[in-house]
Amino acid sequence: MSLRWRLLMAAAAALPAAAPAWAQDTPTDVVIVLETQPDQLDPCQASKSQVGKVIKQNVIETLTEIDPESGQVNPRLATEWSQVDDLTWRFKLRDDVTFHDGTPFNAEAVKYSIERTMDESIDCEIRVKYFGGLTLEVTPAGEHEIEVKTSEPTPILPTLMGTVVAMSTATPMGEITREPIGTGPYRLEEWTPGQQIVLTRVDDYWGDQPEVTKATYIWRSESTVRAAMVAAGEADIAPNIAVQDATNPEMDFSFLNSETSRLRIDAEIPPLDDRRVRLALNYATDRDGMKGTIFSDKVIPSTQHVVPGINGHNPDLTPYAYDPEKAMELLAEAKADGVPVDAEIILVGRHNLYPNSQESLQALEAMYEAVGFNITLKMTEAAEWYDLLFKPYAEDRAPNLFQEQHDNNNGDAVFTIFVKYHSEGGQSTFADAEVDDLIDRGGQASGEERTKLYQEAFKRIHEEIVPDVSLFHMVGFTRVNPRLEFTPSIATNSELQLSEIGFNNS
Amino acid sequence: MNRFVLKHGTQSLFALLCLLVLVFFLARLTGDPTDLYLPMDASIEQRAEFAASHGFDDPVVVQFGRYLAGVMRFDFGDSLFQGRPAIDAVLAAFPVTLKLAGVTMALSLVLAIVIGSLAAWRPRSIFDRVASMLTIASASAPDFWVAIVAILVFAVSLGWLPTSGMGSPAHWIMPVGVLMFRPLGLLTQVVRAAMIGALAAPYVKTARAKGAGKSRIIFVHGLRNAMLTVITVAGDQAATLINGAVVVETVFGWPGIGNLMIQAIQQRDFAVLQACILMTAFAIFFMNVLIDIAYSRLDPRVRTS
Repeated sequence: MSLRWRLLMAAAAALPAAAPAWAQDTPTDVVIVLETQPDQLDPCQASKSQVGKVIKQNVIETLTEIDPESGQVNPRLATEWSQVDDLTWRFKLRDDVTFHDGTPFNAEAVKYSIERTMDESIDCEIRVKYFGGLTLEVTPAGEHEIEVKTSEPTPILPTLMGTVVAMSTATPMGEITREPIGTGPYRLEEWTPGQQIVLTRVDDYWGDQPEVTKATYIWRSESTVRAAMVAAGEADIAPNIAVQDATNPEMDFSFLNSETSRLRIDAEIPPLDDRRVRLALNYATDRDGMKGTIFSDKVIPSTQHVVPGINGHNPDLTPYAYDPEKAMELLAEAKADGVPVDAEIILVGRHNLYPNSQESLQALEAMYEAVGFNITLKMTEAAEWYDLLFKPYAEDRAPNLFQEQHDNNNGDAVFTIFVKYHSEGGQSTFADAEVDDLIDRGGQASGEERTKLYQEAFKRIHEEIVPDVSLFHMVGFTRVNPRLEFTPSIATNSELQLSEIGFNNS
Repeated sequence: MNRFVLKHGTQSLFALLCLLVLVFFLARLTGDPTDLYLPMDASIEQRAEFAASHGFDDPVVVQFGRYLAGVMRFDFGDSLFQGRPAIDAVLAAFPVTLKLAGVTMALSLVLAIVIGSLAAWRPRSIFDRVASMLTIASASAPDFWVAIVAILVFAVSLGWLPTSGMGSPAHWIMPVGVLMFRPLGLLTQVVRAAMIGALAAPYVKTARAKGAGKSRIIFVHGLRNAMLTVITVAGDQAATLINGAVVVETVFGWPGIGNLMIQAIQQRDFAVLQACILMTAFAIFFMNVLIDIAYSRLDPRVRTS
């Protein structure tokens, strides 16, 4: 064997030994691989999942914090709160907190944070998503206490404060910033656009010091690549990998991701304006047949558009059983009454709304045609889909079933029920005075009363109105390096608290 | 020669202008970014307000006028999603793609010339047949699939290379390797065909008769004459490399222009999309000018015609 060959082979043999060079060296540093780069890191966009996963509760913190499992409101930067009158609330703030730039966290800073979030000259998602039509007037009541006056009675203000983040008064007013300055256990160390974001642990955090010292965020749009990176030891957490990449039970966790899928029924257009026809659709849907085949075997058949744990979820409802004979009977009955049950119904889907999105609709199409419906499947891209989702709907539209998925992890049904089911909601397809009344009264009420009213509304919607084919509470998959002690939960969709990560000593 | 370059230059400029118009209107046919930017639960009033504040409710022609006036001042507008000037995002991404495409093209050309010439020396020999088979396979393999399989084999199973990202020289091996697949296969075929023609010419026979060496005949006498065709195809391939870069950059997570463009399309971030396309078009336009110059250097007939 010549010398050259021997050298080559020695080099080849040395290669695998050199591999850990791409992996982590400092044991308390973590690398998190996201799907896309966050567009911006403005604190007031923390409700966007790609932004929230990086900064929410890591760099910037909220005034209150909602427990995603129970929906309960817990203290964070605000320690306690009380209602003064219908419109006025008082929040006591922590007095031992400083922003990363050294400025004190106090009533003035919170006033500034809320005013900047509510500023209409920048498109803060927190304002648009949670405070539509509501104005807040914030007055400091002492160094560490604020008074908040709302433009209309808002019994869930403490819940809403779980979305409002505190930012330093150095954050520019009226323009989007890429440098969040907050109070959290980590500060933004560097952001190399297109490449990585680095957070490092601060020394003087007011709460318990977390174990992770440094977190590097990178992004790869291919799920296969994200999963491969954790498998190869280059990354520690890959939130949201596709079901076909979640092949290793030791690393891959499934969790309810707070999304619920359904087909919205256009209940204003014949034949779908007939309740029997809408019921027939539900009885013709074989949820068990799709579970574990087209959908993951971890999904839960749903009865309403919010997940268990959200205030207002009604646990007593049962999914419609698969009963094609009953569906056919209902259709025959409706037909005898002159309902045009043979009319073409458009099944509107959206590509990649969730894994196997199109396949699920093809299955539904087959199920509905089997009982006698005349279904045409139409797949759309995001922009067209959004256009059809919102009112105003076209006057001369064909009857349609609309594939949709909705995510509510903010503790209260109000973020779902008004927009989807109230006659004035932007995406509702029916008008029922009783449902409207329940939603309106629920919105004004608090405590058990509120829960009861929303539960009643969901019961009426599910059993009497039947404006949708509720499908599943969906699951997500996250791959976690076994060296970490971390269990993804329903919250992992919108935030990833580094302080919840520990390390296995092995 | 100057007139030749000038003529081609004006033609390309006109094409650039058409592209500008086309991209602007085609992008707007795909829908309104309001729906993608605002959360799903935003009210109708909020959507209208958003559209108004960003000028999406103006007639498209008005928007186009505003855009054209901006471009004249090298102002491409602000990225809706990133909250910074679109040109900043594009200028940050461009060098990455340029380096990736440059290295890929240089390596492909060198390899294609060597393999193609050697294959042409004795057509239908074993070397020629193996080379042809491999290059046709590489020209036809879908880059997306090759990239994913390469990651699973070399990064996950063998652990020799990093899965993705930039940094060390090792990070370059897979992206460049995958991106080379198509141009290498195609160029080798072109070099081979052109060289078979060139090597059959009478002056090569003369050179052989004089006793010139194999490498001198191939790389001096033959190659110079085969180069014209090769350069044309190479220029063409350099432009289509942008297509490949979209896939390779997306899979390997390189922050280049291909990656940025896909993101801008998905988000309907018009300002960034337009800046990306203009920048790419300008680069291709510039490269065409270079190719024209190379032509006139290599072939006296072009200079005089």
